[in-house]
Formats: sequence, C-alpha cells, structure tokens
Amino acid sequence: MSAIIQCRGVSKTYSQGAVDVPALRGVDLDIEAGDFATLSGPSGSGKTTLLSLIGGLDRPTAGEITVEGEAIVGLAPAKLADLRLRKIGFVFQTYSLIPVLSAEENVEFVLRLLGRPAAERSARARQVLAEVGLAGLEKRRPAKLSGGQQQRVAVARALAPRPAIVLADEPTANLDSKTAEELIALMASLNAASGATFLIATHDARVIAHARRRIEMTDGRITADDRVAAVGA
Amino acid sequence: MGQLWLLGPLAWRNLWRNPRRTLITLAVVAIGVWSILSFDVMFKAWTRSSLEESLRLLTGEGQIHAPGYLDDPGVGHAMAEPSGALLKTLNGPAVAAWAPRVRVPAIIRSEYRTRAVTLLGVEPAAERRVSDLPGQMLQGRYLAGDDEAGIVIGRDLAAKLETRLGKRVIVMTQAADGHLAEVGLPIVGLFGNVTPAQDEYVFVGLRNAQSTLGLNGQLSEIAFDAGPRAELETSVQTLQRAAPGLDVESWMALSPLASTIEQYSKSYTGVWLMVMFVLMAIGIVNTQLMAVFERTREFGLLQALGMRPALIVAQVVLESALLIGVGVLAGVGLMLATVLPFTNGLDLGGLAAGSEMAGGGSVLYPTLEPGDAIASALIVWVLGVATTLWPARTAARIAPVVAMGAA
Repeated sequence: MSAIIQCRGVSKTYSQGAVDVPALRGVDLDIEAGDFATLSGPSGSGKTTLLSLIGGLDRPTAGEITVEGEAIVGLAPAKLADLRLRKIGFVFQTYSLIPVLSAEENVEFVLRLLGRPAAERSARARQVLAEVGLAGLEKRRPAKLSGGQQQRVAVARALAPRPAIVLADEPTANLDSKTAEELIALMASLNAASGATFLIATHDARVIAHARRRIEMTDGRITADDRVAAVGA
Repeated sequence: MGQLWLLGPLAWRNLWRNPRRTLITLAVVAIGVWSILSFDVMFKAWTRSSLEESLRLLTGEGQIHAPGYLDDPGVGHAMAEPSGALLKTLNGPAVAAWAPRVRVPAIIRSEYRTRAVTLLGVEPAAERRVSDLPGQMLQGRYLAGDDEAGIVIGRDLAAKLETRLGKRVIVMTQAADGHLAEVGLPIVGLFGNVTPAQDEYVFVGLRNAQSTLGLNGQLSEIAFDAGPRAELETSVQTLQRAAPGLDVESWMALSPLASTIEQYSKSYTGVWLMVMFVLMAIGIVNTQLMAVFERTREFGLLQALGMRPALIVAQVVLESALLIGVGVLAGVGLMLATVLPFTNGLDLGGLAAGSEMAGGGSVLYPTLEPGDAIASALIVWVLGVATTLWPARTAARIAPVVAMGAA
C-alpha cells in the first residue's frame, strides 16, 4: 500500500519562556491509505502534537511532512487551509461545532466552503447525518444535542466532503462508555465503508482495540508500531 | 463569492449570541449617529436663524455705498440718491426691496449720560421691507415718516442714558460742512431683542437726518434684498454694472462674522462627527475585540475546517458591518423622529433668551438635508467597519492549532 501520510525527522519544540520543551523528537512515520490507526501514549507523549502537524494546524520545528504526496511544511496559511478543506477531516476532543448552526448546517459548512451546489450539500449532509444515526435531528442546534450526538455531528462533518484522511484527537474523551463504544464502532464502519484513512490520537483502550494499526509514543518518539487484527475484524 | 453567502447568516446569528452586548453596541452607535445628525440639523437651523436675524435686522442682503465709506463711514463719503440706471435696477427684478439711509457716527446725550452711537436716517416705509427692526418695538412706535421730528432708540441704550420714552435727547454729529450739527428730539419708540452692537443704533427720519447733516439729497447707503439667496451674486453684479462708481457689496463682505459663522458651521459639524465617531469607535473596537477573544477556539476551528484567514477577516468585518449598519439605521430613525416633528418650527421656549443673546432666533426651523444625512451616516458606517479590521486581523491570526485545545 502507498503512504498517504509521510513524516520524516519531524520535531517540534515549544518555548516556554527561556525553556525549550521538546514535544516531538525526530518522528518518522508512514500511514497507508485506508488505515485505521491509533496514536497512543501517556499525556505529553506528543500524539496530539503529531496529529496537529500532520493536519497542518501547526508547523514542525524540523522535518518534512507530506500528505498525498504534497509537502505541507512551509505552505502559506491560505494554502494549508485549502489543503485541510480538500483532503482532511477533523474530529476534536471537545465537540467543536459552530454553536449558531444546526446539525445539518454544521455538516454543510465545509461543503459550502468547497463551493458545492445547494441541493448537493443538503442531500450529502442528510446522508452522512443518517449514516451516523442522527436522522431526524438535522435542524437541532448543538446546545440541543447530547455530547455523543454532537460528536457524531462532528464525525459527519469530517466525512461529508469525502476526505482522504480523518484525523481525530481523543474523540471519546468526553463521552460515556456506551456512547464511546458506539462512536468507535461507527468510525470503524465508516472507515471500512468509505475507505478514508483514520488516524486517531487516543489513550482510550476501547478505541485502540478497534485499530488495525497501533502506534505508541513516549516522550516525543514512536516506541511501538504494530499491525493487528482489530476487534470485529 | 459563494463562500461570502455562507458568512451572512453566520454573521447575523453570531451577533445574537450575546444579545446584551449587541444591544449595548447598537445603542452606542444609534445614539452616536442620532447625536451627529441631530446636531448637524439643529446647528444648521441655528446658523441659518442667526444669519437671518443678523441680516434681517439691519444689514440686508447687500448694501451700496460711496467709495471709501466702508473704510471711513462718515458724512464725508456720501452719494447721491439713486437715479437713472441704478434706480431702474433697484426697482427691477434683480432687487426684491431696498431702503435708502444716512448713516453716520454721532453722540447722543440725555439729561444725565452721553453715549457714542450710530445715527441712521431712514425712510420708515422702505425700511420695513428690508429690516425686521421696525417690528421689534417694545415701547412706543417706530418712525411714522421720513421727516418726523422724533427718534427711536434701543431699550438698553435708554437705560444706559437713564432716559425713557417721551423724554428728549440731543444728537450731535459732524455736518457735511465740517461744523458740529446738533438736534434735540423726543424718544418716540424703544426697540429691543437685539445684540449689544445693534443696541447702539438710533433712528430718525431720513429727511430730518439729511437736513441736520446738510446732506441735501445725499445718502450714506442703500440696503437691499435680492430675494432668493442663490440670486444674490447675480443681483450684486447687476447693481455693480448699473452703478460702476459705487461700492456694491453682499452681506458676506459686510458682515464677515456672520459669513465666517456660516462657513465654519460645516467644520463644527465635522469636528462633532469626529469626536462622536472616536467615542463610538472605541466602544466598537473594544466590543469586537472582546467578541474575538471569547471565540478564539472557534476561529481556530474555522481555520482547521479549511476557512482561509481572509474569509475569517471577512466574517468579523461582516458581523461589524451588520451591527454598525443596524445601529446607523436606528440612529437615522431616531434623528427623523427628533427632527421631523419640528420642521414647522421649534420654539426654544425658556432657551430663547440664550439663543437671541447668541444671535439666533427664538424659533428654529430645522431642515432635513437628505444628502448630508446620508453622507454622515455612510461615513460613520464605513469608518466604523474599518476600525473593526483590527479585531478581524486578530481573529485571522489565531493559529488553527488552538482548535485542538481542551475547552
């Protein structure tokens, strides 16, 4: 399989006053198209930092990152925004929905940014909301949805433009067990159905159990990278 | 362009996420715009009133003098009564009304006091057509004819002279032959509601003044009204052609203070607009910066989802444009509600005395000038929106990585 994400010698150091705090130390990583992979490790291991660098949300101190063969380090903010819009869907730890938009409008938001026609937007938004089990709740605003429902809307939004990559940062962190299990199963099934590559930063064992590839990080380095048969696979 | 359509509803809904703050900002903008526009209308009404009071009291819209009179307004610079082309023009369509006058410096003396005054010999019937002063008699009456052996003076001057209606005063001045001319006249009327400078005029009949001064058929000035203001310059030019040997001046040259006040009224309005705008801008920028800082994570999220920084700027600016736009419209509405009921006249009531002291009238006639109001409102709107470029740029510079942070 070809690598849809490539990291070579990626380092990230944060400055806290006069002190430099290394978050990543020369990470090399290839993620293949269609992977359902987890980045796990203790707090401060660098998994969220690596995810943000791959998503072009931040810039590495050193190293190269390519997404679908396009080098993203050094791209202008507007170019990075375009790349995220076209290729990457995000699911964040907190629900991260736009509070003044309904569930359907939140999903449609990225499709509008992409300039899709109104009819296509609406149909696609309703389709993905139905796929994540939110049919009938399209007109509700985030404040009228539960935490699990909001995270499902975030997943639907991430998948709506059919991105090549979905990056999720601790997506189950604020969910109860049952809701978390449902979300994990949902993402795994969407991965299987859409073929989108899922890279999930998590320390939730239930999420890791569903992964076909389990990458462990400690102190800014990859310490294990295993391919396994996932739960239900 | 399609992306901009996305921003409209989003911007409008964002405004109402914090209704109290939005309403306060709307109130600040609306009150600011209301005060700017209302001040403009009222100040113009007062300026117009002040000008009309000044011109209608004595000056007229223009005057004709013998050469040198304006530099040395004495009996030595007299001119013949109008005749020929000048008389024809004065009685023609270029002039609405005119009044011949003798006007010289003089001394007035009562039993107890002496004051320096300006003596005016007038034709009462003609004077009533160019001057409001004959209608401002507080006691007694105005002159009945141009040969009447009586004098009209200001009420305040009478008080300074410690004299009163019906008493005799002596007027002394230099006659045309250089000798001292002196005449005793009874006070037949006292006028009031004039400025201190205007209170130093005393009026006698024109023939009486000419006889006293030895000015046989000669005048010091002719005051005239041209009718509609726009025609004044044309009238002045026509009169200049009819009397090439005389000085024909409009009120702008004769009353430089009144002219300056009218000229600067627009500047005052501009300064007021600027002061109010700075106060509004501080409020708007502060509010928008607060709104941006409260939504730091959201702006990071929007960028993470693929929204370009320029579009973030556009969104914040659009929110401000809507907010300030609604505020400006509300301010215009308030101004209309304030001004329109008084277009037939705003009686200043208890403030009338103050207005009259400052040269204005007791009734103001505010006139709405839509062009000026629209221009001022647009200036506030455009500049207000421009000030929000700062918070907008702040929002656009928020790194998308903040979207990853915990709430």
